[in-house]
Amino acid sequence: MVVQLIRFLGSVRLAVPLLIAIAAILIGATFYESSVGSRTVQQLVYKSPWFGALMFLLAVNLGLSTLSRYPWRGTRKIGFALTHWGLIVIIAGSAAVIHLSTEGMLLVRTDSGPSNQIRVEGDLLEVVAPGQSPQQTDVWVRPDGSVTPAQLAGLQLLGYSDQAIKTVRFEEADGVDNPAVKLRLTSDRMDQTLERWLALAPAMYRQVDIGPAQLEIVQAQSLEELDQLLSPPAPTPAWGTLQIDGNDPIDVQQQMGKTLALANNLELTLTQFWPDFRLDANNQPISASNQVRNPAVQINLTQGDVQERWFVFGRDDFEPVRSGDTLSLSVTYAPPSSTAADYFRVVVSPSHKLFYAARSSQGFTQGPLQPGIAVAPGWADFEISLVETLEQAQVQRQVVPVTPVNGAVTAGQGNPALHVATPDGQDQWLPWGEPTALRTKDGPYLAAFSPKLLQLPFWVKLDDFIVERNEGSESVAMWTSQITLIDPQAEKAIQRSVWMNHPTWFKGWKLAQASWNPGDLKQSTLQLKREPWWVTALTWIGSLLVVSGIAVMFYGPAVTKRFRHPKVSTPQPESVVSSQAPTPDLAPAAVTK
Amino acid sequence: MNLTKFLIGLCLGCLVLIIPLSQFQPDGLDPLRTLAVQLDGRKKPLDTVAKETVAQIHGATTYQPPEGETQDYLSTYLQLWFNTRNWNEEPFILVSYRPLKEAVGLDLDRKQFTFQELMGNGALGALVQQAHQQQINDDDLSRNQREALTVEDRVNLLYQTVGDQQLPIVPHPTDSKGTWVGLATAQQYYDPDAVAPLLAQFAMMQQSLLSHGNHLPLVGQLAIDLKAGLQQLSPTIYPNQAKLAEEVHFNHFHPFGKAWQLYALALGAMLLSLRWPVYWSALGLFTAGIAVQSYGFFLRMQIAGRPPVTNMYESVVWVGFGIAAIALMFELISRRRYYLLVAAPLAVVCLVLADSLPAVLDPSISPLVPVLRDNFWLSIHVPTIALSYASFALALGLGHLTLGNYLFTPQAKGRIKTLSQLNYQVLQVGVLLLTAGIILGGIWAHFSWGRFWGWDPKETWALIALLCYLAPLHGRLVGWIGDFGLTVASVVSFNGVLMAWYGVNFVLGTGLHSYGFGTGGSELAIASVVGLDLLFVLVTAARHKGWLRWPQTVTQYSPEN
Repeated sequence: MVVQLIRFLGSVRLAVPLLIAIAAILIGATFYESSVGSRTVQQLVYKSPWFGALMFLLAVNLGLSTLSRYPWRGTRKIGFALTHWGLIVIIAGSAAVIHLSTEGMLLVRTDSGPSNQIRVEGDLLEVVAPGQSPQQTDVWVRPDGSVTPAQLAGLQLLGYSDQAIKTVRFEEADGVDNPAVKLRLTSDRMDQTLERWLALAPAMYRQVDIGPAQLEIVQAQSLEELDQLLSPPAPTPAWGTLQIDGNDPIDVQQQMGKTLALANNLELTLTQFWPDFRLDANNQPISASNQVRNPAVQINLTQGDVQERWFVFGRDDFEPVRSGDTLSLSVTYAPPSSTAADYFRVVVSPSHKLFYAARSSQGFTQGPLQPGIAVAPGWADFEISLVETLEQAQVQRQVVPVTPVNGAVTAGQGNPALHVATPDGQDQWLPWGEPTALRTKDGPYLAAFSPKLLQLPFWVKLDDFIVERNEGSESVAMWTSQITLIDPQAEKAIQRSVWMNHPTWFKGWKLAQASWNPGDLKQSTLQLKREPWWVTALTWIGSLLVVSGIAVMFYGPAVTKRFRHPKVSTPQPESVVSSQAPTPDLAPAAVTK
Repeated sequence: MNLTKFLIGLCLGCLVLIIPLSQFQPDGLDPLRTLAVQLDGRKKPLDTVAKETVAQIHGATTYQPPEGETQDYLSTYLQLWFNTRNWNEEPFILVSYRPLKEAVGLDLDRKQFTFQELMGNGALGALVQQAHQQQINDDDLSRNQREALTVEDRVNLLYQTVGDQQLPIVPHPTDSKGTWVGLATAQQYYDPDAVAPLLAQFAMMQQSLLSHGNHLPLVGQLAIDLKAGLQQLSPTIYPNQAKLAEEVHFNHFHPFGKAWQLYALALGAMLLSLRWPVYWSALGLFTAGIAVQSYGFFLRMQIAGRPPVTNMYESVVWVGFGIAAIALMFELISRRRYYLLVAAPLAVVCLVLADSLPAVLDPSISPLVPVLRDNFWLSIHVPTIALSYASFALALGLGHLTLGNYLFTPQAKGRIKTLSQLNYQVLQVGVLLLTAGIILGGIWAHFSWGRFWGWDPKETWALIALLCYLAPLHGRLVGWIGDFGLTVASVVSFNGVLMAWYGVNFVLGTGLHSYGFGTGGSELAIASVVGLDLLFVLVTAARHKGWLRWPQTVTQYSPEN
């Protein structure tokens, strides 16, 4: 039984189906590769355990078949043995090249210091679980978004998205009053659904611009203010208003060029308005555009003999620029309000009830805002509904994957992220390249999903990057990196040149010119590679064995025959078949003469 | 006696090479032809520039104007350069792709169109604009758009060539790699007094071409002084006359074209030898073909200064050469005619394809991309692989011949047996060369990419091709397939070679080997040839296995169905 099995394992009967199977798998793999890319196929096929097993089976088949023909008498048998042993050596060597070598890219610049960190293909996950030492693993992502391995240091790895964005969520927390609402906007016609949070704090969530319109939330302190907020916007003065010493504001446009008499014999004249204030090349004030971006007003003040010229700006943080400082006056300039033409305003009444006011080209609407009742503000067919209301909201930052929607506004803005779950069942997305703390009841997990980097035992400095071009044209003939290799242990530095097909070796590492950036000639990318010397030796020895073996197997018999019987007039190379089973000799072929 | 016959064949071949004798008579145009131009990254003679320009715009190297006699490329180019025709209205620009002509409303029966017609065609302009926009957006172009861009290139090249004062014929004063300039801007390098006579000579050449019609020898006379003047400006930088003349000779002698004529003659002679004793003369003719092709490779390597096989065009010519050389070697051993009968048409096909498809197989010599430069392993890896393709192509031919015998003369068992034996030997050579080639590729990859083997599509397909042959060769050892099976395998397995050679770049279009090749586009033609061929194999197999006796079978089994 065992003998039979061994005989089968070493037989041609196994070899032929094996060869056919390998060929078929490779054909499939190359076609698959052209649609999904090489990294996926490398992981799914070429570096997979089952393909390794197949290769191992082939090596076993080759080995046993060679052993079964021992002793290798005759040139043909010797050739056979050389070829097949050589193939085993090459398979072993190639497998070692793929699995044991380290490869990475090193970006160096002429205008920056030496570097020793190479970017290795793949991504790395490092996790520090509460009270444990750090653990790390390579993360490999399949095309469907699933990841390997399934867990690390208690964290479960659930999936991957290359389109994740950072968003916020509000949660009820004890403490300060902070009303927040989550609104859902749906448009059937545009096949879009958006959800947005609005909150009084942080300030950036008071107003959210969503393209067609602006969403905002406002707290009304009094019933009058509530009424005002729920009424259509009164036309505001186009140039804004000026408030002087706490008096009623005056309309800049109306009062332009006029002189106002103030207390203490003070006279004020509004002389000029710039919607978009700048200083030109001659230090003269000009307006850069007609849009109200940086409005400013010039006023002239006179008190007796004293004259001053002030520039008052519409920005809170900017004191008026004055030509002198003898006159004292408090002037604040309120620029024209920047209320968007279209808006949806959520108003929180003093009694914590919610109302809305919406303005669009269709007109103005207002009313109470209640969960489950959709409001059509009049922008296309958008409908807005209240999803969630919080009284004492606290912001929670969060990373979420973007679900592709038709004409999605956010497409292309995302970054990669890894979906993980902590042991207590909470799931979360880890952004790529940013260490994150995951809170659990046992304490925080520190996790970092980041590019895989490797420290070299030496430093590389790019001294010069030379781009040679073909004569009289812009096409590149060769690019060469002149580098200095610095060995910190031996405290020595060596200068080398690296160009295409001419790598250099240093401390077991091979440095080769990989790519360049046509737009930035100060930068060069080197490929760094290390493999154990015996791996290289294996492939070279195997190569030599195979080629010489085939030559000996095919042509050895004819050559030796000729050598032993020089008179034989048939310099016919003996074919494999003719030595296996007697076939008609080809000698008659020579009779044509 | 045999040697005499062989020598007669060889001499006959040489005769073919030198006829017509007029090709060696000086026609006074050599000073013009060997005028050095710095273009596309190297210095080349005006003859090459003329040939490439005319071929690119017109799709052929001769031009037949609506009235008047056919012009060769040099005189056509001079008329462009000196603007002595109304090029706005000459139907000179090639538009060959029929669907494109349909789409933009050009006359379907014409191949060449005038500058005016194409510039005035709004639909074509819109298509070109659209194609450029898509290129900017990195979108895939449709076939029509790609063809429209080609037409745009031709229109631009014509526009640029007509009356071109910027053609870089004035050498750089000091730097051998420095940028050359046109006559009009020569003053940036040289004293105006030195340039003035050259400008005058150029004007005289133009004048004489205008006034004397198409009287080229006169222009050639004037070119002597122009060339001498240019050379005098920078004698050390100006390329050597012998080197320029060598390239002109290569263009005119056209060794690869002569080679296929000789192969075709040898094929004819070999067919005659079935009845008359001209076998050795056929071998002589064939050998002359190989000799002239080798000479062609020698010249091309000298001109380009690099190994023989670096792009698709060269690989096709090299495979043609390999087929002939391997066949001659085996023919000399076996003397059964079959090798030569099979190799000659295959080599002719390769060389004619290389000659007639300049759009897919670009014959121009241009500088190599950096990754292909300066590497010993590469310069032996590629020719070795290509030689193995040649062996397998020869096996493909022999396979067809054998299958033909199976189909039409199945009773000729002896001949079929011999053919199978001959085929087997070629397969052996192929296996040895392909294995060596793959391994040499691994060694190159070790230096260039840092790994011996990395499952790049091109290396994977070379391995698949090898497996396609190894599986049937081993299958024969256990008796699973016989001579017939191996014959079929030598035909069918060639598809693996085709895929490794052509398909990886054009069908899969991925991987590290994606340099040095054109844009492809003949996938459909190749696929239909392959399909027809497989059908032929199927029919032969049906005949051999007796499946073709279907009328009896059908009547026998139909009642049961």
